Amino acid sequence: MVQPNSINKTNESTIRVPFDSARHAEIAFRVLSVDLEPHRNFVQKKLSLEGDVLTVHFSADQVKNLRTAITSFFECLLLCQDTIKQFGAPTLDQNAGTQPSAHTA
Amino acid sequence: MVCALGIEGSANKIGIGIIRDGEVLANVRRTYITPPGEGFLPKETAKHHREEILGLVQASLKEAQLKPADLDVICYTKGPGMAPPLLVGAIVARTLSLLWEKPLLGVNHCVGHIEMGRHITGAQNPIVLYVSGGNTQVIAYSNQRYRIFGETIDIAVGNCLDRFARIIKLSNDPSPGYNIEQLAKKGNTYVKLPYVVKGMDVSFSGILSHIEDLADPSRRRNKRKKPQDEVDPEYSKEDLCYSLQETIFAMLVEITERAMAHCGSNEVLIVGGVGCNERLQEMMRIMCEERGGKLFATDERYCIDNGLMIAHAGAEMFRAGTRMPFEESFVTQRYRTDEVLVSWRTD
Repeated sequence: MVQPNSINKTNESTIRVPFDSARHAEIAFRVLSVDLEPHRNFVQKKLSLEGDVLTVHFSADQVKNLRTAITSFFECLLLCQDTIKQFGAPTLDQNAGTQPSAHTA
Repeated sequence: MVCALGIEGSANKIGIGIIRDGEVLANVRRTYITPPGEGFLPKETAKHHREEILGLVQASLKEAQLKPADLDVICYTKGPGMAPPLLVGAIVARTLSLLWEKPLLGVNHCVGHIEMGRHITGAQNPIVLYVSGGNTQVIAYSNQRYRIFGETIDIAVGNCLDRFARIIKLSNDPSPGYNIEQLAKKGNTYVKLPYVVKGMDVSFSGILSHIEDLADPSRRRNKRKKPQDEVDPEYSKEDLCYSLQETIFAMLVEITERAMAHCGSNEVLIVGGVGCNERLQEMMRIMCEERGGKLFATDERYCIDNGLMIAHAGAEMFRAGTRMPFEESFVTQRYRTDEVLVSWRTD
């Protein structure tokens, strides 16, 4: 149960994610800034950009809510990073179709 | 000339399609299939989509023999659907849009189905029956909107079929509806089921409860009924599948016919995953022919959720000048068909 002295204090977490370039960091920043936290989650999420580092700050009244918000943020972040990794290399894979990882449904 | 890439992932299918001026260049898809007796849940479905989506994007570009630079617009499903899987498509679409410096467009899933069906079949101004696992609507176009004439007041017709398939432990591969259709072909005794049409609307949840009781009386929720009061005859799975299909499809045919009469239309287009059921098509065709009308339907490549329909509807929107600010590229679980301004049709 919640300890009395922890009531009304804020739980916070800051995540700093470096990218290969400032451009990729900005792409991730714009992609991940679109989705707002659900109203009933009671979590504040703030994204900011410093050069090639994306910074995300979370604050919440309850650790449980903080964990939920961070977990779902990480899922989106990883997907965005993977997409940049596979499709972001300039000119290198302009012939994108030739990579072997895919099959037709 | 508009060349569009579309990403669809609102339910258990993840698909990518590429279309250029109405010419289909690529249409790839993966389905998340759960064990018999289980449905697909949002979290697990999103995980499946995350694992498949990037490979599918590669595959679609390869199949279309295109470079990212050849595309004009990236489209994704904005809703309606389950939020976690929708978000997978949206995140990738946004990232690709910024990486490749292409505009981004959010597409209504239902409008995607309608436009794909019209494009493939050539139907001009049909009454649309949109039947899938999440939606059941009778739709007619009027004055730049796809207007909903009738719909389900509880669960979708596909949801009713899927959940019945779970009760009798049918396989979800390739889809529960397909397996019900195959069993139904062997049924010959019609079991009487409730028939629930309310004006232009239909309801399936009561039918589902009723047939669940027949299929498995031990699950009976109404505990007040004493078991010895009645001896239920044993019904075969085949007969139950047959009876369920006949009943719910008759309901759909009825409201579709009424919409035709109301709008003075003589074309019907069936879209959505349940739309590839051949028995539904057959019943609808009989009704259409009796009225001197014509039925349009597509096969599983275009009926069942696919990326191509999102690409095509997006391309139509793009051609008509619809643009979306990047900040509005969120997803929404509820997004009604009639909320979309049909800017690309002028009739």
